[in-house]
Amino acid sequence: MIKYYRFCLENGLRVLVHEDKSSPLIAMNILYDVGSRDEDPELTGLAHLFEHLMFGGTSRIPDFDKPLQLAGGENNAFTTEDITDYYITVPETNIETGFWLESDRMSDLDFSQKNLEIQKSVVTEEYYQRYLNQPYGDALLLLRSLAYKVHPYRWPTIGREVSHISNVNLNEIKEFFFSHYAPNNAILTLTGNITPDRAFILTNKWFGPIGKRNVKQRKLPKEPVQKEERRMDAERDVPASAIYKAWHTGPRRSKDFYVLDLITDLLAGGESGRLYTKLVREKKLFSEINAYITSDIDPGMMILHGRLMKGVDIHLAEESINQVIRDLKKRYPSDNEMEKVKNKFESSVIVSNSNILNKAMSLSYFELLGNTDLINNEIYEFRKTNKRMVAEVSAKYLNEENCSTLYYKSTRKD
Amino acid sequence: MTRSKRIQPAIRPVDLGKIPEARLFTLKNGVPVYLINSGTEDLVRMEFIFSAGKIKEDRPLLASTTNMMLSEGSKKYSSARLNSLMDYYGAFYKLSAERDKAGISVVLINRYLEKILELIREILFLPRFPEKELNALMKKRLSWYLVNCDKVHNIASDQLFESIFGKRHPYGRKLVPEDFNNMNPSLLSDFHKKYYSPSDMAVIVSGKIRKGTASLLNNYFGEMHPGEVCSEDPVYRMKSLARKKVHKNKSGALQTAIRIGSPTINKRHPDYPGLKILNTILGGYFSSRLMKNIREDKGYTYGISSSVSSLDLSGFKVISTEVSKKHTRKTIDEIYKEIRLLQKKPVGRDELRIVRNYILGEMVRMFDGPFAIAESFRSVWEFGLDNSYYYRFVKKVKTIDPDEITALAATYYNTDELHEITAG
Repeated sequence: MIKYYRFCLENGLRVLVHEDKSSPLIAMNILYDVGSRDEDPELTGLAHLFEHLMFGGTSRIPDFDKPLQLAGGENNAFTTEDITDYYITVPETNIETGFWLESDRMSDLDFSQKNLEIQKSVVTEEYYQRYLNQPYGDALLLLRSLAYKVHPYRWPTIGREVSHISNVNLNEIKEFFFSHYAPNNAILTLTGNITPDRAFILTNKWFGPIGKRNVKQRKLPKEPVQKEERRMDAERDVPASAIYKAWHTGPRRSKDFYVLDLITDLLAGGESGRLYTKLVREKKLFSEINAYITSDIDPGMMILHGRLMKGVDIHLAEESINQVIRDLKKRYPSDNEMEKVKNKFESSVIVSNSNILNKAMSLSYFELLGNTDLINNEIYEFRKTNKRMVAEVSAKYLNEENCSTLYYKSTRKD
Repeated sequence: MTRSKRIQPAIRPVDLGKIPEARLFTLKNGVPVYLINSGTEDLVRMEFIFSAGKIKEDRPLLASTTNMMLSEGSKKYSSARLNSLMDYYGAFYKLSAERDKAGISVVLINRYLEKILELIREILFLPRFPEKELNALMKKRLSWYLVNCDKVHNIASDQLFESIFGKRHPYGRKLVPEDFNNMNPSLLSDFHKKYYSPSDMAVIVSGKIRKGTASLLNNYFGEMHPGEVCSEDPVYRMKSLARKKVHKNKSGALQTAIRIGSPTINKRHPDYPGLKILNTILGGYFSSRLMKNIREDKGYTYGISSSVSSLDLSGFKVISTEVSKKHTRKTIDEIYKEIRLLQKKPVGRDELRIVRNYILGEMVRMFDGPFAIAESFRSVWEFGLDNSYYYRFVKKVKTIDPDEITALAATYYNTDELHEITAG
């Protein structure tokens, strides 16, 4: 049972504290309720580029990292379609340095042209390193643009194209900061060797004086229901062909969420998952195969992808996937299989909760979802699902007309 | 906001304090078990370690294939059954074969401990190495290998290890597609018989260790005949390639991967802590010289780092980055410039203070929680060292002076000895 305290400052900053005396450290996590879904379609990649700029220092603290390193701390951040998350771990005695740094960059940033130019270049290199210069690196970008036509999930966090990043100017950066970075748009979580009292005093001292801001209201276009199957072929110089499939699902808060999560565990949870057992082990059609849900706050996707063994016909490979999916709708899983994925889910939650930083990230995220108790209840939510629900939810979402399929074909001759 | 509230808080000294010691428990047949008891969740992690790494193989892939095949069917269970039982009991296991050591680690919930121990015993000591599964695995491995051959960072790393350890040494030799045809069940059985023997096993258990864990370990692993320690290991000569600069072409690549490195001392050498500190300054943390210069000042890369690693028979240091083609030469020049600067100009007081505290903070993180403690324990234990290594390290961090760092840079970063690999 993870015990946490929750309070809210007058400026709207929400704060969660979980004391874990077994650690010599404190984890400090700040989640900003802004992600790539909040971007202008012509200026994509901005939320993530902005995350880089947050380390550029302010007029008062020109270097963010050095004082933290001096305090024995370590930090990083990530951006998703929905959120931007900054985190620090620091020895308990020096937590106030973390407060000083995070409250400072929440109040104001130093928007220098030089820093912007350099980070544009760094992010462009990141685009190459992680997506464009990797075999299969652009596949999920293509799949996303096929599955979504209207909603901002149609572009990836790194940006729709490199040129969007190089075209951003300083004014757009400033506007983005003041319309999204605000105490009333953030969740601060502290876990580890800190009492709720100490957290309360320090939060008030450092974040209390920051004024509320007018956060831009989120008005996102709704993705129309997909009515017919979508297909795309891409040809690339890669060693083997691959198949990518995406089905639209409900939002993170929908009642189907944990059933879908369980379905992907039936399909691809560990080596004993159905896809691996049937298509890799038995039929030897794929060298690797995976399935997962995107867990997005707005209606997301279930994604399935696999790389083909040499010489396997891509249509045959796809048909073998479809057969596994059809089976989900037709036949109830055995009690044993249901119990297996539930047990595995339970241990994965326990493993995740054995680390103070994971606990801080989970608490922040569940608070954003409006259900902080999920930190303790997620296992029960997952346990509640039954085999009838598996068949129903599979029948509801895993249909051809709701599916986008990408054939990522190898052009290599050998 | 009032001025007074913005004053930087005082920074207190960071200290590692006392490291929790592992408690040694010996099974009836002599197998050592190290117990690290702490943690908040009802979990344990168990690691079973053997000297069955690449260094013991007489042909490429033998150590890793033997290791991967351990869970592909045992005397009592098929591979599918083994895996579904592991999943049923919510256990996460990982087989691994490194350069020196190999084995299995598993994280599990205490209530299934006995079930998992039974499965681990099957995996480690009663594997069947079925031919059909072996052939399927080799086909899969070949296809993974071919994908890796398309990644510039793999091409460059593989070449670096060949360049610094030699074409024939298991630390350095590169794989070729034909290697994937050279495995058969009897090779694996022989390797297993020689190197997966209780006489050579060690176990590290960490987490919330329940009463009775030790006696369960005795039930499952303490009754086995310890067997013999294999004494006819293959012998290899380690020899760096004469050619220091190698470029591997990859047509169509948008970026070039750069690796600059050489063999070096390992943890057993008295200079090692100092070399680690020097490495941190050069490229071992976010504010390192290389990051500041090549990423944060020039924007040439998403990341650049340097590292120093220990192996049983050697060690190696490597500077790694990926940059746009047009910045390759400039980046390499800047890397050498930073090395020469460290050899010539003593590190300033402020920078040294940051590095000291940063490393001390890292050390606190290295011992945060039972699993982290176990990893840190293992990484000295496998070199025949103990926690006194960490206390020596802390002392060195606190007392090293700028001239010593300059001298270490001159000794260990002789630019004539560095191999320079590019792929792209």
